Amino acid sequence: MASHEEITASLLAFQEGYNKNERLKIMNRDWDRVVLVQASDIPSQHTLELRNGELSVREGAPPRADLTVIADSETLADLFYGDITPTEPYMNGTLKIIGSEDDIVRLDFISLMIWGE
Amino acid sequence: MSEVGLKRVLTLRTVVATSAGLTLASSSFVAAVQVAGFLAGDTAWLAILTGGLLCLGAASCFSELNARLPSAAGIRLYFSRAFNDRLALTVSLLYMAVVMGVVGAESYVLASVLSSALPAVPPLVWIVTMYLVVTGMNIRGIKIAGAFQDLITYGLMGSLLVLAFIALGRVGFQLTAPLAPGGVLAFINAVAVGVFLFVGFEWVTPLAEEVTQSRLVSQGMLLAVGLLSVVYALFTVAMTASTPREALVASPAPQMVFARTVLGPAGVFWMVVLSLAASITTFNAGLISVSRFIYASAREYVLPPVFSRLSLRFFTPWAAILTVFAAGVTISLVVLATHRYLVLVNLAAAMESVVYALAGLAVIRLRQKEPQAECPYRVKGGVFVPAITALVFAGLAVAVMFTDFYVSLYLLAGFVILWWYVHRVVPALKSKYQPRRPARRRRPVAEPADAGCEKT
Repeated sequence: MASHEEITASLLAFQEGYNKNERLKIMNRDWDRVVLVQASDIPSQHTLELRNGELSVREGAPPRADLTVIADSETLADLFYGDITPTEPYMNGTLKIIGSEDDIVRLDFISLMIWGE
Repeated sequence: MSEVGLKRVLTLRTVVATSAGLTLASSSFVAAVQVAGFLAGDTAWLAILTGGLLCLGAASCFSELNARLPSAAGIRLYFSRAFNDRLALTVSLLYMAVVMGVVGAESYVLASVLSSALPAVPPLVWIVTMYLVVTGMNIRGIKIAGAFQDLITYGLMGSLLVLAFIALGRVGFQLTAPLAPGGVLAFINAVAVGVFLFVGFEWVTPLAEEVTQSRLVSQGMLLAVGLLSVVYALFTVAMTASTPREALVASPAPQMVFARTVLGPAGVFWMVVLSLAASITTFNAGLISVSRFIYASAREYVLPPVFSRLSLRFFTPWAAILTVFAAGVTISLVVLATHRYLVLVNLAAAMESVVYALAGLAVIRLRQKEPQAECPYRVKGGVFVPAITALVFAGLAVAVMFTDFYVSLYLLAGFVILWWYVHRVVPALKSKYQPRRPARRRRPVAEPADAGCEKT
């Protein structure tokens, strides 16, 4: 089981990877979204916010989210560190993403662009 | 933890419209005429309502599975949890192949509709045009919006009912022998093929991630199946009561024969519009489902990673979409050359029956395996509905296979090939492509403990 701090660190690593990628920022200029990242086994919530192509991370839940990512803390930390791809836990039900299908594909794409296959 | 609202949510009206809209297709009229062809008198309605009732059982099972595992992964996840991943993957791959067949049959029927209205344009031109338009839409990420889907589906169902009543009024219809289908075997075959009329109602389950409560998807599926049963039953009775059966059976677009008989050129124009509306949602949804499935499979190395390539401009899986385009056009050309579209209709009916039977079994299995799991919706009456669903649809699948030898052959061959693929090729792909890089995660290093000593 990962701790809340580990999830925070993984999200910051994700943010760092994202912000280094200028191409990704340009591609997401028109994709303003609020993403809630929630652990299912520990009390841990984070907000990822994409606005004008910039990604910010903060602890706690947003008032309203476009996408909600739910998984156990271990999966979330592995996922945002890029140690696992989202597809396998998504297909076996460990990872739940609530939102539109297009947004889910976009999130997967961002992860692919940051961490590779 | 606090409850966070979703910004974009769908209503029950749109869920019903999506479920019914994916099911209503131009090829549905072909299946409806086939159902009537098995039976004597005006008993098609009985077979269609029976098929609808059975699909309500299947819809209940999908509702419970969806409530238990709300995910766009659908049957892949349900069957994987209930049985095992290899079986789930084999069935999902086979199902997607059959969906491609349905798209092939649909394109052929729609091309026949358009060619009968404009004979100067050959069907091949219509088929290629349709694929190009839908592929272009898919690559650009254009989807049918909820409000447009509502308009198409409810407009379509309303129009079919109006047409049915006009036809029944013109012939002064009176039911003759409505309860004498002409034999039990004929009735079973009619119900089995009638399942095709409802193919795709469960494709709405991916919306589980776009609604506030998964019960909306459950209610939507049940309402859609109920509405479709009534519309199909009335329309089929109207077709067979007003138009000679031989003419209907002989045409790949029986709805055009019916419309011309009832309303002349105005009817033809009306039916062209209805067929286009019926096809666009099914055609588009079929291609999207298959291409997204190919993309997701490639992302987990079930298929070569080349299929997971995304368009950097539109964020859509272009490699998967183009693969589906190539496969779809090939299937449609084969159908156009052989005119054997009925095999695809029967194949879809049989495969859908297999999937519904497995859904019933999956409900029972998951209740045993995960009795404590959260499940906001459970089918009432214990295992009765899931067990009946499993038994009846297994029987219907066998009935279709007995009726059409090629269906048994193609399904069996498909299953054996995919079973081999899942057992031999998939592990090789995973071992070749799965990354073996060091973990990036900075795990806390455990303090070394002296062997045999315990710190106090």
